[in-house]
Parts: sequence; structure tokens; C-alpha cells
Amino acid sequence: MAEKKAESKTPLLTRRDVLKIGGATGATVLLSQGILLGPWSPDAIEGIHRESEASTEHEWHMGIDLSKCIGCHYCVWACQATNDVPRDEMRWNVGFPERTENGVDFFMTRPCLHCQEAPCVKVCPVGATWVREDGIVAMDYDRCIGCRYCEVACPYDVRRFNWDVVEDENQYHPTWGEPEVERRPRGVIEKCTFCVHRIDRGLAHGLTPGVDPQATPACVAICPVNARVFGDAKDPSSPISKFLAENETFRLREDFGTEPKVHYVRPSREEV
Amino acid sequence: MAAGQLATRPSTNNNLPIRLWYALLVTMIGVGLVGMFQVLWNGLEVTNLTDRVPWGLWITHDLSAIGLGAGAFTFSAVVYLFRIKRFAPIARAAVFIGFLGYTSAMLALAMDIGRPDRFWHPLVYWNVHSVLWEITMCVIFYSTVLVIEFLPILFENPVFARWPKLGKFGHKLHALTPILAVIGLGLSLLHQSSLGATYGVLSGREIWFKPSMPVLFILSAVAGGVSLTLLATMIVWKITGREVIDKYLRRDIARLAAGALSAYLYLKIWDWAATSYYSHAPGTADALARLAATTPYTRSFWLIEVLLGAVVPIIILLNQPLRRRHGVFMVGLALAVFGVIVNRWNVTLSGLIVPPEWSPGVLGNIVAAAYLPSWTELSVSLGILGYALLAFTLGVRHLSIYPKEGEDTHA
Repeated sequence: MAEKKAESKTPLLTRRDVLKIGGATGATVLLSQGILLGPWSPDAIEGIHRESEASTEHEWHMGIDLSKCIGCHYCVWACQATNDVPRDEMRWNVGFPERTENGVDFFMTRPCLHCQEAPCVKVCPVGATWVREDGIVAMDYDRCIGCRYCEVACPYDVRRFNWDVVEDENQYHPTWGEPEVERRPRGVIEKCTFCVHRIDRGLAHGLTPGVDPQATPACVAICPVNARVFGDAKDPSSPISKFLAENETFRLREDFGTEPKVHYVRPSREEV
Repeated sequence: MAAGQLATRPSTNNNLPIRLWYALLVTMIGVGLVGMFQVLWNGLEVTNLTDRVPWGLWITHDLSAIGLGAGAFTFSAVVYLFRIKRFAPIARAAVFIGFLGYTSAMLALAMDIGRPDRFWHPLVYWNVHSVLWEITMCVIFYSTVLVIEFLPILFENPVFARWPKLGKFGHKLHALTPILAVIGLGLSLLHQSSLGATYGVLSGREIWFKPSMPVLFILSAVAGGVSLTLLATMIVWKITGREVIDKYLRRDIARLAAGALSAYLYLKIWDWAATSYYSHAPGTADALARLAATTPYTRSFWLIEVLLGAVVPIIILLNQPLRRRHGVFMVGLALAVFGVIVNRWNVTLSGLIVPPEWSPGVLGNIVAAAYLPSWTELSVSLGILGYALLAFTLGVRHLSIYPKEGEDTHA
């Protein structure tokens, strides 16, 4: 009996309990909102950006017409000369003979695809690589710690690591161009930049990337058959906008959800 | 206290086996230092790593050392948080082994990153979207926790008797242990799973991309970490004759390990069944077929990870007649540890060796890669292993890692 009385005196919830539960709930809500909406939110990947010359006015895309490509390798070599990549196994822009399911031979080339949802950008522990406002996936060689997680994350085998000091002579210079950027130091990752130095300087000088060759990626500018086009997808009169409007294009492994900015035209139109 | 410690210190300082053991460990460390020098001087070209397989032996070493250090947070939580004091005699050993595991991992990582001079960058340049950033922060914080938990044990050594303030400081730190156990538990739950997420979040790698990765990693870490702590304790017992923990505690720890191992096995089998048996995801199926055709990793998954690393140890650890035969018992624990190490190797290499097919053609220019560590990589790993074993040996002989006989256990 006495026990029962004592029990009945204790309410199911005291005011203190209510305050505690309320406080915990409030803290949880605040924390989850902070994670879902703030700079830590899953959608804030474009927040991994840095002070750059890029602006959201432009969005740079590339088109590669595999039916026009003649497999001359000029784009591969021009890239190696311009970006000073002397070693063939470190090529930023790779090219190799391929064959379609229907037996049509073609030449496959692949620069960095500059994915809008770049897996490499998400995983970098120090933010040494990021998607610029104009869509270019940039690299900061001074910040990279060389952990190679981006290389592991990239599904397109785009990234290259400086396993040692590259002192090799660049055999592609001067035939295919002049080195326009510094060689990267030992221990950092490098990859195709869409020749970002040409774009930024070109824009500063009033040139139009994709139209003026000095402001256009070396691989696009050198192509003798115009199989590669480049430009601002936000400008309807740019070469890339016309390319996308006139051709049926596809992107590599769209099922990965990476949203690449390099668009291909199938090797042979007949087979589509 | 100090006198007691001196009296119980093994009087085997000058016998041959221990000298040979020290000689072996010093040789291992020496070989490792040569390897480390080569890496720092010549860069990572001295490894067999390539742009296709940029991660290899050292990442396996990191993942294994951190995973097998999970005994520290498990036993800290059991003893100091859930207040199951019976486990107290093994808690210090668990913390010590955890400390050695985490320092080993940091040594291997320092060798593995291309710019060791920039090791501090993750602390300054944050990318909160990177699971590797989260792991780095957690591992740094948790290593600090382990140091704070370990310092009082260190300061008990008579060497520090000259500075009584250090001992007092150690006691003050020791009073923090319950709080540290909570922090350690939180940090460990985060980064032990995130190590699995390192692979699990990569949407472009079909073999890795699955939400079970983080859970598989933490379950196997608890199983392996608990097993290693008990195994080390039993080895010390067999060598010194000091039976630190009685058979009932051994039984309970074995059950804890077997429980974690069973949960791990259950999830592992379902993971395989759901992704490869009852369904057919084209990318994953193709990648696994290429893996089976070009590597021994499919076989080592079933034979070593599942059979030798999980099924056999679960049977041994749960079976009293088998446990009573200490040799068999210790083999069971060793197999659980071995299973975790092989799992970390298989996970890392399997995803790298069969990269995704991204070319629209059919000639298959994206060939399967291959990897075996170079001598330099092996020597560095050997050196780091030598460091851990030497530190453990010195710790057991000169610090109160295990409670002395008749002494009330620390809680």
C-alpha cells in the first residue's frame, strides 16, 4: 500500500523530463537542419570552390565527334606539348583504336570529362580539386597531399600521379606546341584542365574560348578535321551549343550519375 | 607500487630467447628504416603502385592496423561506460594495442602520401564532403584520446618516479577515463565505419559501391580487435606464465569476438547473396566475373575471409572443448585476425584491379591490372610491424599493461 502511494506521487513525466526531451529534440532538429541546409549539406558540393577567375556566366563543354575523327593523334600530342606531359603513360588526353559492337573501327579519345558531380572532387580530403563556377574541375597542386583517393574514385581513369620527378625531355615540343604551364612536382596528382590557362587569359583579353584558337583547349584547336569542338554551353551561338543541337550525343557511363561535360557523337551514324 | 613493479619484472633480461627476439625486432626496424629512406629520397616510384592500382600494401596495413586497434574502444566502452568491471584486467592491454595500431597506421600513411610534408593540410583545408577528411580528423582526435588514456600507464613506470608531479598528472588524466571512453566510442563508431565507406561511396566502382561497406568494416574491426587483444594476452601468459585473465573472462571475451564475427559473417553472406546471387546488376556482375577470371581474390574471399577467417574461428571460440585446448583457442583467435587483414587486402585490390569499362567500344582496352608489393613496400611494412611488436614487448615488460597477481584491477 505504502509503495503504491509513493508511486502515485511520482508523475509519469516531470517538468524536468519534459524539458530534457524537448531540449534533445530541439538540438537534433537544429543539428540535422544544419547538416541538410548549411555548407555541409549534400548538395553543397559546388560550395567546395575557391577564389578563382571563373564566373557562373559561362559553362565550358567539349564535343567529340567519333565519326569525324581520323585517329591522327594530333590532339594527344598537342596536349602533351602544351601541358608539358612528356611521358606517354601520363597522358591527360588518351587515344586508342576501338571497335563498335557492329564491327566498325574508330579512334577513341578521352580528356578529363569535367563531371559536374565529380567523384574525385567529393573525396579529396583537403579540397585540392574542385568544380569551378564555370564547370571546370580544377586542381591545386600546392594543396594536394598525394593520397590518390581522387585517382581511386575517378571511374574514367583520368588522373595521373607524379610517382617521381619528371625530368624527361618533351619530344612533342616544339613540333606540337610550346609548354604553357609549369611541370608538376613529385608526389601530386595531375589531370586535364580543359587548358584552363588559355580560357582564363583568353577571356581577360576579350577572346572567345571555342572560337579563338589562343583561348581554346590545345586538343580542340589543333584537330585537322574539326572532330573536337569547345565552347560555352550557356551561349546558344557557341560552337558547342550548335554541336549539341545538331547531333545526337552521349556521355561516357551516364549511369554513374557523374554528369560529364564531354559529349560524344557515335562513330558511325548508320548504326544508330 | 614502484618496488612491486620492479620485483615482478621478469628476471629474463639476459636470457637467450628474449635477446634473439629483440635482435629480430631491431633488424626488422632497421630494414624498415632503409625502405623509408628510399621512399622519402626517391618518391613513390620505388613502389609497385601504378595509376591503375594507386593503393596497395600500405593501405592494407593502415586499414588492418586501425581495424585491429578496435579492441581499445570496445573494451573501454565495456569497462568504463557500461561498467562491466569483470573485463577491466584486459582494458589497459586493449588501449595499448590500439595505440600501437593507430601509430602504425599513421607511420604507413606518412609513407603512402606523395607529400608527407603536407600531412597537416586536412586540419587546415577542410572538405567536409570527403569521408577521408572525416577519417583523418577522427583518427587524429582518437589517437589523442588513446595517448591520454595511455599516459597514466606510462607515468607509473619507476623511471618517472623522479618527477612525482607526472604521476599526479597521470592520476588526474586517469580520472577522465569514463569521459574519454564516451568520446572514443563516438569517434571510433564514426571512423571505423567510414574506412569502409571510403570504398562504399564510390559510385563509379561497381564492386565497392554498396551501403553495407561501412557496417562490414566496423563489425570485422570489433571482431578482429577483440580477438587480437585476447590473443596477445594469451601469448604473454604462455611466455611469462602470468595468467592475467581467468578462463571465465577468456570465455566471455571469446563470445564477444564470436558474436561480432557472426554478425559480420551474416551481413557478408547476405551482401553477396543480394548483390550476386539473387540479383544481376550488369556492372557488378561483369566486374566480379572479370575478377574471378584474372585474380585469386574470389577464391581467397571464400576460403580465407569466409571459411578460415570467420566460420572456423566462430566454431572454435564458441566451443568449450576446443577452447580448453589453448593452442586451438589461440589459432582460432589468430585466424579471426588474419581474416580481417585478408579482407582489407581483398577489398582494396578487387575494386582497383577491375576498373569500370568506360570506352564505348568492345576491344577492351581497359585491361585488368595486377599488383604485388615491391621489396621497398614490404620492408617499410616489416619495419612498422617491428615497431609495434617492439613497443608491445617493452610495454609488457616495463609498464603495468596487465595487473599484477593479487592486485586489485584498475577501474
